[in-house]
Amino acid sequence: MKKILLFSLIAVSFIQAKELNPQMRGFMNDLNIEAKKENPNIQGFDYARGELIFTTKKIGKKDNIISCVTCHTNDLSKNGLNERTNKVIEPLSPSANPKRFTDVKEVKKWLRRNFRDVYNREGTALEQGDVITYIINKK
Amino acid sequence: MKKVILASLLIAGSLVADSYFGSSGKRGVAPVTDEFYKKECASCHFAYQPGLLPSKSWEKMMGNLSNHFGTDASLDPVDNKTILNYLVENSAEKSTQYKRSKKINESVPRNETPIAITETKYFIKKHREIPLRLIEQKEVASLANCIACHTTADTGSYSERAIKIPNYGKWEDD
Repeated sequence: MKKILLFSLIAVSFIQAKELNPQMRGFMNDLNIEAKKENPNIQGFDYARGELIFTTKKIGKKDNIISCVTCHTNDLSKNGLNERTNKVIEPLSPSANPKRFTDVKEVKKWLRRNFRDVYNREGTALEQGDVITYIINKK
Repeated sequence: MKKVILASLLIAGSLVADSYFGSSGKRGVAPVTDEFYKKECASCHFAYQPGLLPSKSWEKMMGNLSNHFGTDASLDPVDNKTILNYLVENSAEKSTQYKRSKKINESVPRNETPIAITETKYFIKKHREIPLRLIEQKEVASLANCIACHTTADTGSYSERAIKIPNYGKWEDD
């Protein structure tokens, strides 16, 4: 009985972790509307495109090779590391770190900063939606 | 009874300390007290105490967060102002009762505005004998990583006794 209860609790928390809160769902919806304005042919956000954004290596501001993986690693359930400051970065995956992707202001801030650091520009609505889709669903 | 003795000892001790260091003399720098500052700034790096730079430095730095030592650390304007206010209100020249703040402030010339603590003359003087290999090793990464060697840096204390350099040990100045 205890095992069943534990299993149900884990299952519930797993589902909840992947479910965005209303504030974040609103943000994803706004991004979707914006992306369709930019290109009426798009069919929603895409995990594979998000993965490409997350893993593509670029030349950063300091002529260094950089991608999202540089600091966040490829295992989003584990801690990352800011290599410049040696500061630990908590896991990006909401299933490992439930605080992630709950606060729209925070999400917008980091998307702006990190796109500029890796791509030297801000992400389009489509790119932002794609990369969030990748991060929150990656196993 | 034991408690009374302990309390008396503590009071007596602090009186002695006061007369020894002078009424205005405090060691180190004032610790960080602002939770919002900690949240916003210390998510990427050590929470440098505001008393480690004069206000003109904080103003210059916070005016260019989109290129913050090569990284985009931009904040929305309201949050930027909130943090700048905290930094300026507790900056080095306003915390001269703390020894390190006083010395850092005195080492910054009138016509210079360093934006890095590591660029102040006091800081440079205090760190010039440290071999590069100890700074560049992966446990430390850079001189900006205070807590890597100053084990009590988060409390505002940079006392020599609390220095422990990874793969080296205690640092004896003389």
